[in-house]
Amino acid sequence: MDVLKNKTKKIYKAKVSRVEKISSNSHLIEINLPSAEEIQPGQFISIYCSGLTLRRPFSVYSQNGNTIGIMFKERGLGTKYIKSLKSGDDIDVIGPFGNGFDIKNKKSLLIGAGIGAAPIAFLKSKLDKMKQENLFICGFLNKNEIPNCVNVDKVYTDDGSAGEKGSVLNYLGAVINEYKPEIIYVCGPLIVLRETAKLAEIFDLEIQVAMEKVMACGIGVCRGCVIDIKKDGKIINASVCKDGPVFSGKEVVWQ
Amino acid sequence: MAVMNDILNVNLNGFMLQNPIMTASGTYGYTDEYDDFIDVAELGAIVTKAISLNPRVGNKHTRITETEAGMINSIGLENVGIQKFLQDKVPVLKSKKINYVVNLAGSTIDEYTKLAEICNDNQIKAAELNVSCPNVKSGCLEFGTDENSLYELVSAVRNVYNGFLIVKLTPNVTSIEKLGIAAEKAGANAVSAINTLKGSQIKINCSLGKISKTIITGGYSGMGIKPVAIGAVIRLSKVVNIPVIGIGGIRTLNDVLEFIAAGAEAVQIGTENFTHPDIAQKLVYELAEFITQNGFKNLEELKKELRK
Repeated sequence: MDVLKNKTKKIYKAKVSRVEKISSNSHLIEINLPSAEEIQPGQFISIYCSGLTLRRPFSVYSQNGNTIGIMFKERGLGTKYIKSLKSGDDIDVIGPFGNGFDIKNKKSLLIGAGIGAAPIAFLKSKLDKMKQENLFICGFLNKNEIPNCVNVDKVYTDDGSAGEKGSVLNYLGAVINEYKPEIIYVCGPLIVLRETAKLAEIFDLEIQVAMEKVMACGIGVCRGCVIDIKKDGKIINASVCKDGPVFSGKEVVWQ
Repeated sequence: MAVMNDILNVNLNGFMLQNPIMTASGTYGYTDEYDDFIDVAELGAIVTKAISLNPRVGNKHTRITETEAGMINSIGLENVGIQKFLQDKVPVLKSKKINYVVNLAGSTIDEYTKLAEICNDNQIKAAELNVSCPNVKSGCLEFGTDENSLYELVSAVRNVYNGFLIVKLTPNVTSIEKLGIAAEKAGANAVSAINTLKGSQIKINCSLGKISKTIITGGYSGMGIKPVAIGAVIRLSKVVNIPVIGIGGIRTLNDVLEFIAAGAEAVQIGTENFTHPDIAQKLVYELAEFITQNGFKNLEELKKELRK
């Protein structure tokens, strides 16, 4: 209904412009979204997947004009649906939501692991535009898992099929010693976030982590995606969707 | 605007709604959180997230999971507590002219009556008693499943609260009718049904012959519970003389009509708010359009036709 359309904000019947396989197990979907230019690295949008109850949240990988890119791995029914979309299809998107990275004018070490490379790659593009010195390192399972669209400075694979062999975590201390960053930004599996945060504490470095959690509402209402954080000496709940998804690595209570 | 005229008005046993579309507790926050999507003041009423005497931090383990036709939640009534609600949220509700019902949760009769007294002292016009949260360990589920305990609880609250009192019923009982009758006898002005169904999901992972499981138990909601809810509304409507508010899996105008046909005087939209955050307002518009396009005078006339 027209009257409703004029009232709604942050709900978009957007258009898919492209879906492409970018590695052995991940895809890139590009969407024309009216709110694209507002989106900051680390923020997310949420996609309605036909027939499913919960929307699927994705942090944004790229933004050019009205087009945003989302990198995803097919993991279940939601991502299967998104993968099935074709150029020109309608897509129901809400967002952007959450707090993205708080970009600092500091020498930056950017760390991505697996599909967690997506928001970090977006952050890197912003830092590059700002001419802020940065180093982007990324860990993957193997060579075939590396998305063909992501430009990383240093790559690590578990099986050694590309870059250095082993987890990115194994090399982190050495990278910090050599590169001497003033701030770390990281996204990836929980273990990567946790271990990086521990290391940042040892090196007394500022760190921002992009967290992930199953969400229902995406706007801080349902309290489904809360984590423990330390604030003013107390441990309190924070919602990943609204208070995050980016948190200071120092305030997160690591499980 | 067309829908803002009075064709959708509902007189819910003295509690006036501009339309029968409400939002269910726990799915809509406390105030205007959905203002990014719709004009919340255009809804019949919102029911706040459950509020307890003291703030609650809620459950620690996994809180939500998707299921085949809905979701399971185990939030554990995380909330800001009644004082913070009065201080921070009520002024917003007032300034935005949002019609609201406060959902109250306690674990003892004393807690409920204290909450109700506070609501009464603060001129809160309507309250819904959550007597059936499946996700908290003590007390509250017992009130919802035993008609004598429910009668005692609702009577105690009624004694101290002069506002419009709704009792939200659980489907996790043998006879929801007995609970509805007890609530009415104790002085409730309406009943709402249904709260979530108790359910579990076991996620099984197998890696190299090693099985790992994650079990989440909580309240099942969403489209899958609609037939259970419709059945409950039909049975309740036959035995109580107070309005029944229908809740459970509503996603479309047809769902709303189905609940009205079953006997509901108003409905609450729950889980679908997560899927389509503009759904409640959309249903208001669609209902108004349906009434005018089919030549009914107003909602009251449509109700009569649907229940013939």
